Amino acid sequence: MVPTAHFPGNIIFYLIFLGGLGVFSYLIYTRIRLLLFTQKEDRLSQIGERIKSILVFVFGQRRLLNEPFPGVIHLLIFYGFIAFSLGTITIIGEGWYPGFSLPFMDSPLGNIYLLVKDSFALLVIIAIVLAAYRRWIVRPARLEPSLDAALCLLFIFFLMVTDLSIVAGRIGLGTESSGLWTPAALTISQIIAGSGATEAGFRTLYQVGWWGHVLFLLSFLIYLPLSKHFHVITAIPNVFLRYLGPRGALTKLNLEDESAETFGVCKVEEFTWKQCFDFYTCTECGRCSDNCPAYRSDKPLHPKMMTVNLRHHLLDKAPFLLSKNSNTAVTDSGNGQEWNGAAMVGAVVGDDELWACTTCRNCEEQCPVFIEYVQRIVDMRRYLVLMESRFPAELTATFKNMENQSNPWGLGYTNRADWAEGLNIKLMPEVGEADILYYVGCAGSYDDRNKKVTLSLVNILKSLGIDFAILGIEEKCCGDAARRIGNEYLFQTLAQENIEVLKNYKFKKILTACPHCYNTLKNEYPQFGGNFQVVHHSEFLIDLLDKGMLKPARSFDMTITYHDSCYLGRYNDIYDAQRRILSAIPGVKLVEMERNKARSICCGAGGGRMWMEEHLGKRINVMRTEEALKVNPNTIGTACPYCLTMLEDGLKAKDMEEAVKTMDLAELLNNAL
Amino acid sequence: MKLIACIKEVPDTATQIKINPAGTEIIKDGVEFIVNPYDEYAVEECLRIKEKFGEGEVIAVCMGPTRATEAIRKCLAMGVDRAVHLCDPAFEKSDTYATAKALAKAIEKTGFDLILCGKQAVDGDGCQVGAQIAELLGIPGVPLIIKLEISTDKKTAIAHRQVEGATEVVEVKLPALFTCQKGLNEARYPSLKGIMGAKKKEIKFFTPADLGEAPGSFGEAGSLARMVKLSLPPTRQGGRKMEGEPEEISKELVKSLMEQDKVI
Repeated sequence: MVPTAHFPGNIIFYLIFLGGLGVFSYLIYTRIRLLLFTQKEDRLSQIGERIKSILVFVFGQRRLLNEPFPGVIHLLIFYGFIAFSLGTITIIGEGWYPGFSLPFMDSPLGNIYLLVKDSFALLVIIAIVLAAYRRWIVRPARLEPSLDAALCLLFIFFLMVTDLSIVAGRIGLGTESSGLWTPAALTISQIIAGSGATEAGFRTLYQVGWWGHVLFLLSFLIYLPLSKHFHVITAIPNVFLRYLGPRGALTKLNLEDESAETFGVCKVEEFTWKQCFDFYTCTECGRCSDNCPAYRSDKPLHPKMMTVNLRHHLLDKAPFLLSKNSNTAVTDSGNGQEWNGAAMVGAVVGDDELWACTTCRNCEEQCPVFIEYVQRIVDMRRYLVLMESRFPAELTATFKNMENQSNPWGLGYTNRADWAEGLNIKLMPEVGEADILYYVGCAGSYDDRNKKVTLSLVNILKSLGIDFAILGIEEKCCGDAARRIGNEYLFQTLAQENIEVLKNYKFKKILTACPHCYNTLKNEYPQFGGNFQVVHHSEFLIDLLDKGMLKPARSFDMTITYHDSCYLGRYNDIYDAQRRILSAIPGVKLVEMERNKARSICCGAGGGRMWMEEHLGKRINVMRTEEALKVNPNTIGTACPYCLTMLEDGLKAKDMEEAVKTMDLAELLNNAL
Repeated sequence: MKLIACIKEVPDTATQIKINPAGTEIIKDGVEFIVNPYDEYAVEECLRIKEKFGEGEVIAVCMGPTRATEAIRKCLAMGVDRAVHLCDPAFEKSDTYATAKALAKAIEKTGFDLILCGKQAVDGDGCQVGAQIAELLGIPGVPLIIKLEISTDKKTAIAHRQVEGATEVVEVKLPALFTCQKGLNEARYPSLKGIMGAKKKEIKFFTPADLGEAPGSFGEAGSLARMVKLSLPPTRQGGRKMEGEPEEISKELVKSLMEQDKVI
């Protein structure tokens, strides 16, 4: 009774099936082949961790479920696809060998499977309706009511409907053992029977359902690589191939390579294959943009659209790239011809877009399929800075200040340790050895407000008799901002100079109160042979509290909301130490902002934004301050010099600096001793 | 078109200047040296002129110790084609006149169509060298420009000069010398490509002999002015308020200015 049991059904099926599969294979082949024209990158280490990622983030839908409504919709459709896979194999199998059936289908297990599939058909249809309701009626800003989205939903909808038709038809024809295990199909069958359908009617229902299912299936397959729904195929590998190195480490550029003609990325093929695979995988869900401080403050950066635009650009350029005969040619003039289409940096991705990024990693933390944004943005910034010398004008001074005085403010480097005058603090260049090397950082050394944090921390260290020393004027800027702005040359110079100095002395740990220094020293200096144990003062102080060495005794009537630093939280997973420190202070009531921990919004200073003017859109620090003020604190707790500055400025802008104070953990703890 | 940019290396403006006990020179330990910021405008303007006309050669001319090579490399990294470095103990301790004499000789030897200098070096703040070079070379000198337009035939130039409360527009025949004031341009930051390329660019070293002069023409011996003593300016005192009848106050003020401050 299978439509392909006789001529011409069988021939038609063979043609449709082989043709569809052929087109699909060709499209996949071109997509993969295109990746061979991009740069190499190894993504196959830590297989165990990768398999775990698949289980948690694909089968567990961990990140999608962060937002319950769309999360559950997706979960239903995702499991619907899985549930239907066996049914699909059966249908295709029948096409080739009428009477084909999977071995277990006749067992009780087969019945359970039929029930699961039948239920999912209904659930998926409900999910489709809800998804359509959300996209076209609720209309969240991050979703476009596009034809692409509509087509995807319709394809899935009709796959469900046709599958139900097949089963209902069979029930009507009596070829399905009974409708007991397929209640939805049974109901449909009964309704149709009730309306007086004959056997011929059921046969038509079955045949239309069968052919419809096969046709929708194959067209959907072909449509996938051409649409945002390619993620059905690419998401699992993309999660599997996710970046597993230290999140805070940007790639190292080999600046000694005399043969290098270009640095950074200006052409799409200069990205790695994995970065391009990210473009394929983006499903345009918009979680990245929803959580992006730049996008939320009306700046030109729209992470989702950047990925989508890069995908279109890559595919536009594909014929040009594929016409080349080797994958080593990075330059456009590789085989004598030039690319005449849009330039990637400047046109496909605007300069302002690139400069708006605070490298806060919120986009990466939210992306369900682990698309990487920060490295990509820094890669393009590197091109702008190192090759074109094209960047916001104010950064020239910042760079020169770091070059000449080793700090972004450009204050005299000989004044770096002026704050320590008269405090009897050991200098490494004099003592050569100490348990703790306190790396003060530029803000802690030069910025008046942050010097108070330095003094508080020093006071705690001294009160406990901890053996520590500072580098004094031998300390230089860690280079975090330079690297994130894209000035890899300046960063590497500073990093190498610091590592050389640090290697001269004996110490157990480096302590720092700045998350940016912390991240750079801990995660990036190993790239240059600087392997040190680095602790942030929040980790250090909670350790002292846990050991009972610090006993905050004085009570304060304080309502504190703690603002997470991106480089502690999302970059280094330090969320609890800060909260535990604050809770250890008697009288402190800790209140959480709506967006906290991994979802916390950046203060606006990361990624070198501290040193750039904020000409476009709203001020990020004011937005974050407003979020803090919503929970009525009298103190905003911070653990980062940039956050401290930005939120204090935010309070000034809101005329709230008298009513609400911004304080670092070390200050609050020191006051309580 | 040969475009000359005169450059000098100076202590970074963030440096806290200390003077040696003899009062003869500043202590150079812990001092970071940079390209004189006004000279960077000169370099930048030369590069822009070259880029605009699509031809020409930008040559940096610098007088200074061996250390100054670093400042010269920075200019080469910005895009300067080659450099001339007047580097010899005989040049040390030159006043502005001896300096201008040496630079003028070197520029003459190199050849020139246009010369740009910073309006002053931020170390000695003399503001003399540019004008003196123009005088020694017998070409027009236009100080303190904030805008420069070279005619398409490259025979004349129109410069905008900053004068008290107004802008003076001057047209001169080339070759001429201009000194650059803040506002003329924003000096570019060298790209990595530029930094790497700078390593391979030529720096020609000149001694007095190369300029066809005796060592005595420069340095202290060749100078018209002699430095007697270096000292830091007195630390700034708080203001003083004088109260009373106008007549009394004016008397007191004059007395104070004559006896205490010794300015009249």
